Amino acid sequence: MTAVDQLATESTGTGEVTIEGRDRPWQVVVWNDPVTLMSYVVVVFRRLFGYDLETATNLMLKVHTEGRAVVATEPRERAEVSVAQLHAHGLQATLARD
Amino acid sequence: MAEIRREGDHTVFRIDAKERQALLDIVERIEPMMQISSWVSPRAYQEDDLEEEFRRLAGEDLMRARQADLATLREDLSGALPVLLGPDQTWGWVRALNFLRLALAEQLGITEDGWEDRYSARQHRRPPLATLHLLSWVQEELLEALP
Repeated sequence: MTAVDQLATESTGTGEVTIEGRDRPWQVVVWNDPVTLMSYVVVVFRRLFGYDLETATNLMLKVHTEGRAVVATEPRERAEVSVAQLHAHGLQATLARD
Repeated sequence: MAEIRREGDHTVFRIDAKERQALLDIVERIEPMMQISSWVSPRAYQEDDLEEEFRRLAGEDLMRARQADLATLREDLSGALPVLLGPDQTWGWVRALNFLRLALAEQLGITEDGWEDRYSARQHRRPPLATLHLLSWVQEELLEALP
């Protein structure tokens, strides 16, 4: 059990312990960097998240102009996979609690 | 003059032997910079304990994936000309090029948008900036050639 799970764990009235941390949504945040091509970011967003061109372009522009954008909100395990995939494509991505 | 275009399901990269060797030399020079680049291997969490767990679970796979992409690029460049790339190979190339560009830019101290204006036209035409622009051109052309 991770530290986050422990924080999210609640004791029930029956004395059982449930793990809610894994299902609680987390944000996948992509951060701007000054060298990654904008066209590349759009293609990666479409490839990894299945976004249409307009959605992917708007998210890329948000990253570029605001410095960051939430590109997905997912359960933690799924969000970790998304961040790992983004890292595997060379994008600056982090997880944050929703 | 190098050219990249899609032909059917493949990306065709037409370069001569001299251009090919120049690209291989660039990869060889930049690859060690990747080992120490925070952009190539960024944090997933702000919290140290969560980051440590993420690294333990995913760090090695990510490193292997980067090495595989670079190996793909090197092997394809070392084969017959013109270079023929299937869709998966093309993706390996664009990822590898992104890592190379990140590592080189970090080494050059590029930290903010608008960095291009800090340099003169002459500096842009000469290494190491010209190297960065060359890698950008190859990556952009490969992206346009993707199905």
